[in-house]
Amino acid sequence: MTLFEELQQAIIDGKAPVAKELTERMLKEGVRPAEFFPKAIIPAMDEVGRRMRECEFFIPEVLIAARAARGATDILRPLLVGDESIRPVGTVVCGTVKGDLHDIGKNIVAMMLESAGFRIVDLGVDVAPEKIIEAVRQHQANIVAMSALLTTTMVNMKAVIEALAAAGLRDKVKVLVGGAPVTDTWAHSIGADGYGKDAPAAVELARQLAAA
Amino acid sequence: MPEKPTRRIVLRPLQAGLTAPQGTALRDLLFAQGVEFPCGGQGRCRGCRIRVLDGTAEVNAAQRERLSAVELADGWRLACQCSLGDNLVIELRQWDAAILADDTPFAFQPRAGFGVAVDLGTTTLVAQLLDLSAGRVLAVRTSLNSQARFGADVMSRVRFAVAEGGHNQLREMIRLQIGSLIEQLVSAAQAPGAEVQDVVLVGNTVMHHLFCGLDVEPLSHYPFESGQLGLQTFTAGQLGWKLEGNPRVRFLPCLGGFVGSDILAGILATNLGERENLNALVDLGTNGEIVIGNRERLLCASTAAGPAFEGARISMGMRASTGAISEVKVEGQEIHCHVLGNVPPQGLCGSGLVDAVAAGLELGRIQASGRFSDGAGAWALSPPVALTQGDIRELQLAKGAIAAGIRMLLERCGASARDLERLYLAGAFGNYINRASAQRIGLISLPSEKVEAAGNTALRGAKLALFALDGEDGSYARLRSRIEHVALNAAPGFQEIFVEELAFPQGTYA
Repeated sequence: MTLFEELQQAIIDGKAPVAKELTERMLKEGVRPAEFFPKAIIPAMDEVGRRMRECEFFIPEVLIAARAARGATDILRPLLVGDESIRPVGTVVCGTVKGDLHDIGKNIVAMMLESAGFRIVDLGVDVAPEKIIEAVRQHQANIVAMSALLTTTMVNMKAVIEALAAAGLRDKVKVLVGGAPVTDTWAHSIGADGYGKDAPAAVELARQLAAA
Repeated sequence: MPEKPTRRIVLRPLQAGLTAPQGTALRDLLFAQGVEFPCGGQGRCRGCRIRVLDGTAEVNAAQRERLSAVELADGWRLACQCSLGDNLVIELRQWDAAILADDTPFAFQPRAGFGVAVDLGTTTLVAQLLDLSAGRVLAVRTSLNSQARFGADVMSRVRFAVAEGGHNQLREMIRLQIGSLIEQLVSAAQAPGAEVQDVVLVGNTVMHHLFCGLDVEPLSHYPFESGQLGLQTFTAGQLGWKLEGNPRVRFLPCLGGFVGSDILAGILATNLGERENLNALVDLGTNGEIVIGNRERLLCASTAAGPAFEGARISMGMRASTGAISEVKVEGQEIHCHVLGNVPPQGLCGSGLVDAVAAGLELGRIQASGRFSDGAGAWALSPPVALTQGDIRELQLAKGAIAAGIRMLLERCGASARDLERLYLAGAFGNYINRASAQRIGLISLPSEKVEAAGNTALRGAKLALFALDGEDGSYARLRSRIEHVALNAAPGFQEIFVEELAFPQGTYA
């Protein structure tokens, strides 16, 4: 097994200390920081996403794998500042909509997007439309990802899309929505650009939207 | 104007036949037959699915989203999305609700006259007429909550009331329905001149608000707090009920946004607030409610368990009706499934699901992480009924929410499960669930002998309120002031504990 493969395995197995140790060792051996993403972190999290989709992995496994990936990325990020060869795939402003406090799903999506090379601005839970507008402006985001877990709060996604339009930002960002009560039909009806059925689907969609 | 042609629909397995004008929405037709529409007929769940055995029913985008191509080809449809265009023979996927009344003896102070206690549930209604001088139940009436056509769970009702302006409609329909139950009770008791003195209702906070005509908008979003949790008092006449003597009608106060007077009544029924030792009351439902306390301190909380215990969102899930696997027992290396109604198995209900997973853990087929050990996607329990990997995940979410809620409240009391004298399981599901299996999956980390199925504690508490001592108006101000409502969702550390509690306990319990 190559060191990149070992690191992938450590992330999939959720072994954060091993992931950190390997990352440091590889850096000492002269591996360039930018190489870690395409050769280890992104493929590892894609594999985690695949296993999650097949119900082989569940929330705890995904969370510990993401924690292990973060162990590696926390070491790498400072080394990548100013490295033009590894620009983020895109900047995503994410949050759970106003009136709603559920955040496990949103956190998983955020962590998986981060491992996929996106820059994440996580606004947390119970997020008012104005806060999203402000963050989009400040960080020049190109994707807004929103989550709602209640049928009574999912209507607030529409409010965010309307606020983006009113602020003249609607054509600057792609809007991604998700959460248990959300459907593809609903996403279309409120004018969102995409619906992520689960975290891996959200990552895939974000990749497409960022590339478009 | 020419009359619309009529069409005939036959409902199996009941074999009931109905005729209605062509084009009538199946939602209206079937609702009148007691079929539930969990998402309120929005096409967002699969709860109302039917199988068309003869005739044709339309397929639309919502159905393509919720049903697979194979299901559609097999004739499965979402009833809420179809109308009666053709003569139809359909099979219903739902059950007849098992409604739990209460006939537990209780201590009381005799008083003159008659009283009515009502448990106003999201799904079911139970009303009992009592002779207050003898504490005897004279008659009982049960029914499905007529509001259910606008959504099975409380949030769907709130959405209908707030977003679709259905508030007044929901209020009027429930008042009418309960009024008619009470009239039936009085005439069934055949006690001429039986004058009802007092009516006491209990229910969750949304039911309380909708019945009393209070705004449910604050209950639709964080922080889920209403300023109107208190006792509501009416006269029968104000509710449009024509009862002899125009009695007083009281809806007992609630404890929090998701902890209603049904739980207050449960505290009264189990006497949780007067005991020296720590006891717990747990109501397992879509919203699990938990109370832990003693005479010193009482804590309550609600936790979003989701519908897995009711067999919803389980691939072959169904309610506890004919054809449901309700029990799974381990015999050596084999399992034995008990099917309700002595028919071939058709699905898995909540108690069967909990048993099946406990059996899988016991046999080593399911790992503590919830994964099937052999990596297979499903386990054939009793063909054609199988347990899938996804089903186990749904159960993990439900049990994780309840177990984490119990653990949080115990931690707040500075106690652990060992310190509990007893844990009372309220409600119908608490009666059916196998306590050893509940322990095996880590839903309740207490030995079976300390867990007690307490039945309909909400109704029992409502009856006790009918006998409340002089001077007690039913506001329970003193008791309520002692109860601390913990908002779990906002409590630091809750998410971490929830994630920890998603796993099953290791090892076996012989």
